[in-house]
Amino acid sequence: MEHQNNDTYLAKWLSGEMSDEQLMEFKKTPAYADYKFLIDVTDGLQTPDYDQQKNFNATLEKINTQQEEKITKVRAFIPSWAYAAAAAVVLFFGYSFFFQKTSFQAQLAEQTSFNLPDGSEVLLNAGSEITFNSFNWNNNRTLNLTGEAYFKVKKGSKFTVVTKKGTVAVLGTQFTVNSRKGFYNVTCFEGKVKVTSGKLSQLLTSGNAITIQDNSVVPYTTTETVPSWTTQESSFNEVAIYQVITELERQYNITILGKEHLKPAYFSGRFSHTNLQQALTTVFDTMEIRYTFDANSDVRIQKY
Amino acid sequence: MPDSRKSVCEQRIFEEVFNTYSKTIRNFIYYKCGDTAQAEDLTQDAFVKLWNNCTKVPFDKVKSYLYTLANNAFLNEVAHKKVVLKHQKSVTSIATHESPEFIYREKEFKGELERAIANLTEKQRQVFLLNRIENKKYKEIAEMLNISVKAVEKRMHGALVSLRSEIEHFKK
Repeated sequence: MEHQNNDTYLAKWLSGEMSDEQLMEFKKTPAYADYKFLIDVTDGLQTPDYDQQKNFNATLEKINTQQEEKITKVRAFIPSWAYAAAAAVVLFFGYSFFFQKTSFQAQLAEQTSFNLPDGSEVLLNAGSEITFNSFNWNNNRTLNLTGEAYFKVKKGSKFTVVTKKGTVAVLGTQFTVNSRKGFYNVTCFEGKVKVTSGKLSQLLTSGNAITIQDNSVVPYTTTETVPSWTTQESSFNEVAIYQVITELERQYNITILGKEHLKPAYFSGRFSHTNLQQALTTVFDTMEIRYTFDANSDVRIQKY
Repeated sequence: MPDSRKSVCEQRIFEEVFNTYSKTIRNFIYYKCGDTAQAEDLTQDAFVKLWNNCTKVPFDKVKSYLYTLANNAFLNEVAHKKVVLKHQKSVTSIATHESPEFIYREKEFKGELERAIANLTEKQRQVFLLNRIENKKYKEIAEMLNISVKAVEKRMHGALVSLRSEIEHFKK
């Protein structure tokens, strides 16, 4: 062992750089078994799990917060740091292009359409909002929705729509999500979508839809190939009358008074987005609801 | 070389770099401090710095830049505690050629070994685990730590000698 008695021979042994002769001698020593065993046990050890995505998101978070801090700091020193402030603002917008949340809104009585960074199309119905992070979009296609939207999703990684009521994960392609107070509907027009809401987890294929309202889950089929609201109409399949009326308010940007007089009922049918008088007739008359409609476009539901 | 034209200022490249190096850097720090939360925090900080300085770091220098940052970050971390490594044990049965007595005591031995590894100097432990668990060659480790291959070999050797003496009494 004498000629091996230097301070690196164990390292050479492990990397396989020891000569055959040296190795044979080393194997004869009692120390060999100890080292061999030690290495065998060590090689069976593992490091704790590493969640790459979680860490990446945390990193982005830090980059974002850092930008905000920079801005606040600069604001405090504006008089003497005017140039720095200007530079930081430019920098901030540069970064925000990548890292800030992007949001799109459709005001009452309007619809908005836009493309996501991957080319997927979104059509937002009246009184709805979508926010998402455009940086890293292609790997993390997740967006938040309040209200109703129609999606034409380009093929790619998992596409997820998060709402207060539940989550829709997309496996293929064209669908609408409508998440309103007390009402949740997902309709699949093409491909497959997975709906998760509370304990419910359901796969919808094209032509299938699901409505969750009043604590009940109602699946149904549809023959529509695009959502009716993209063609100047709103259609309903056994939807609580209250929801239908709030949709009327959103589409025409009006306030309908006297909702407390409504009796629980479900409405199936459609109304036009272009003629309020006609829309009111189709909804209220078929449901035998008494109402008044005056010159100021004020609609008031009467006791019936 | 097309790589030299790549810039980490591009979000796509930045993420690619993250996916390539973040895990190794995390373990690189973890082997030194034995604290996953701290290791991940410092790893994230290194990438934040990389992003902030993306225009100054040529693509082919990104790797060494990250390791230098990770090293420095660790040195700057004032409150760093003496920690015990908590390795997850793999289920694979080992050393079947050893004596039954040894196999019987394998579990206890693992605990003993973990304690012995934790008692190594930071430098020895980092080199030893990078080689054994991350399967990094001495040359790669030397580059990461910015030291010579000879120095890496010395640390490896020292680690083994120290581990053996630590577990010696356990066998008897």
